[in-house]
Amino acid sequence: MADATVVKPDLDFVKGVIAAGGESLKKCYQCATCTVVCNVTPDKNPFPRKEMVWAQWGLKEKFKGNPDVWLCHQCNDCSSYCPRGAKPGEVLGAIRKQTIKQYSAPGVLVDLVNNKKFWPLIVAVPAVLLAVLLSAAGTFGIPEGEVIFSKFASTHFIQFVFTPALIFGVAVGILGMKKFWADMKQANGVYSGDLKGSVTETLKEVAGHQKFKSCGVSADRFTSHFLVFYSFIALGIATALGVLYIDILGMESPFRLGYGTPVKLFGNIGAIALIAGILLMMNSRFKNAEKLGVGSYFDWLLIGIIGTVALSGFLAQLMRIAGVAPLAYPIYFIHLVFVFSLFIYLPFSKLAHIFYRGAAMCFLKYSGREAEQAVVQPEAKTEIPAASGPETGESAGEAGQAETKQE
Amino acid sequence: MSEQETNILVIGGGISGLTTATEAAEAGYTVTILEKEPFLGGRVSRMNKYFPKLCPPSCGLEINYRRVKLNDRISFLTLTEVEKISGQAGSYEVDVKLNPRYVNEKCTGCNACVEACPVEVPNDFNAGLDKRKAAYVRSEQSFPFQYVIDKAACKSDCGAKCREACKYGAVDLEMQAETVKIKAGAIALATGWKPYDAKKIDNLGFGTSPDIITNVMMERISSGNGPTQGKITRPSDGKEVKKVAFVQCAGSRDENHLAYCSAVCCLATLKQITYVREQYPDAEAYMFYIDIRTPGTAYERFFNNVKDDENVKLIKGKVAKVSADPATGDIIVEAEDILAGGKIKVQVDMCVLATGMQPTVSEMKLPSDIKINENGFAVIGKDRKGIYAVGCAKDPVDVAKSVQSATGAALKAIQTVGRLS
Repeated sequence: MADATVVKPDLDFVKGVIAAGGESLKKCYQCATCTVVCNVTPDKNPFPRKEMVWAQWGLKEKFKGNPDVWLCHQCNDCSSYCPRGAKPGEVLGAIRKQTIKQYSAPGVLVDLVNNKKFWPLIVAVPAVLLAVLLSAAGTFGIPEGEVIFSKFASTHFIQFVFTPALIFGVAVGILGMKKFWADMKQANGVYSGDLKGSVTETLKEVAGHQKFKSCGVSADRFTSHFLVFYSFIALGIATALGVLYIDILGMESPFRLGYGTPVKLFGNIGAIALIAGILLMMNSRFKNAEKLGVGSYFDWLLIGIIGTVALSGFLAQLMRIAGVAPLAYPIYFIHLVFVFSLFIYLPFSKLAHIFYRGAAMCFLKYSGREAEQAVVQPEAKTEIPAASGPETGESAGEAGQAETKQE
Repeated sequence: MSEQETNILVIGGGISGLTTATEAAEAGYTVTILEKEPFLGGRVSRMNKYFPKLCPPSCGLEINYRRVKLNDRISFLTLTEVEKISGQAGSYEVDVKLNPRYVNEKCTGCNACVEACPVEVPNDFNAGLDKRKAAYVRSEQSFPFQYVIDKAACKSDCGAKCREACKYGAVDLEMQAETVKIKAGAIALATGWKPYDAKKIDNLGFGTSPDIITNVMMERISSGNGPTQGKITRPSDGKEVKKVAFVQCAGSRDENHLAYCSAVCCLATLKQITYVREQYPDAEAYMFYIDIRTPGTAYERFFNNVKDDENVKLIKGKVAKVSADPATGDIIVEAEDILAGGKIKVQVDMCVLATGMQPTVSEMKLPSDIKINENGFAVIGKDRKGIYAVGCAKDPVDVAKSVQSATGAALKAIQTVGRLS
């Protein structure tokens, strides 16, 4: 065994994956059923079988610039056919959490945000911060008279506090994404490609949710993610229209049907779709919990934050219309706290997938790997896709060799 | 209810039961074999060849049938069902239902009833690959060589053509089921196995094309007394096979199906590859595996011989999708070639699923103190010292190990009888 490969396992990485919801990781015996039943993996150097062995062995370096964990949409076809209950879908989710740490700076926030023990802090920090800022603005309390939320938090207050929070979240995410992109190029030896075309194609794919459509066992993930995705867009439009009406047209909130109708339409349709989408997500996780896993804290934190945003926003509106001030303002405050959380935790929570999955999907096209599909082999001489080409998949090829030698 | 007495009762007339019975009887003890089918021989009688020697099982079965036939201490009952086991070691009482054969001992095996029979049903002996009549024997080697009438398959309007055709008065359609009580000192549970139902493995396409078959069907296709007289052709159109895929662990080592390794399928596939390669010098065989398990020197050597054949491709990676190409009818198997690092699709003439062994005992009605483990195999506890599980009732094992296990069970049964009777 003169040519033996010495593997350097990072045991903390293994423990981290297990702690983040990948408890079943060690059950995998490398049969590759998962890879074959997966409808979203590329055919060349497919996932998740190779990721399972890398994670088992603690080969943390393999995940640096690895697009594949992000190409996974957790349809869970793999977990449902897994003969060992190793739940590759859950394990890849846990690995994703680990890799967010590598790219969203400071990485320590990923652990803080996604640690079950700190959940009161996750809510308390933005709540105290907003309370202090509102007190400083002199509006923290339950105002007299008709329920008008701008009496509690003025339009300018919202703009001055929430815009920087969103910019912070997006900026950290974009910086992380750039680092990830550079690592993907390096790890896969891809230095040029059609960036513009790849971005366009990726955006089209995301808009149509094509990947989700190819999911087998959890076809309802398409519906739930589609609802949540487009409700965010609808709510974003409602917010933009609000800014337009108030700051440019000089109108005053609250809006209602007949007065700023589009804001109300986009806002309410968005809210209802969001609640429906989140409920559907929760339901499908419980439905298949035993075989597919109920999901980790990492998953549930995001579901919890988004769910609370949607529900509190909708309830606040109802209470305002009903004129119940003692409930309307506190619920509105909760709504503000969770929207603020959503923004500042954006690059550290599961929501960071916006950046990293987006980049990975784009890289798949950019590197040309997506186009290399397995062809049916009718001939005697089997041409198996090269393990390590000069242009792509170098890291995967090395793993293949390491495995051969291991045997 | 009539009564019979015997030293040792053997439940199951396959290779394990036959061996237990003959070993015990030749040591001087009386034995009764109960067989649920109309003939002895079990799974082994359906095999083409044994691994690793590639000799035909018919030879060993012939010897065993003769040992049974010539030994006064062995009696056997076919078409039986065990209804109840009571008592304890040294004095068991077993209620056995004897289903009617509708053909009595006057049968000479002239085949006239088969010729007269107007009904055809799927032939279970050939794994449903061809048809048989309602009046039948399995093969020229059937033992006892006494025909049987599958009355469930009979059409009520056939006017008992078989009875009219029989010159010897052997057909008796009025036969009734009866129950006998058998007293025995010890019991050997040699109930064997059945192939796991491949339809349950929904991603492997069994049932979607006749050319996706199981290893048990492959054994029949390759057998001289099988549906094709041993010529390996694909079931859909009788075409000679040039490319065959063998899919290992089809339902085995899989907690969605059989959680354990069935222990024989790797060797069975390697053996079946030699069938294909022997008949077609230019044919190719693909074996998709997770691990190839051929423990022991002789089995390892057998594996190496097959591996060295350059027309045999061993691919590490379990097949997880099998489908029929609508255009050509060919079968496409999909796997990840783990060592090369890519998904592959291979188009073949025929695909053989190496389905595993499911213990028959897992579906039997047994006294509650005979324990069944989580995989369905019998675990005989200390409290039932007179009942011994044999062969595939106890573990997934090959014929050689079944026979060893049977010899051991015969000795234990003899000791129980000697001690307590």
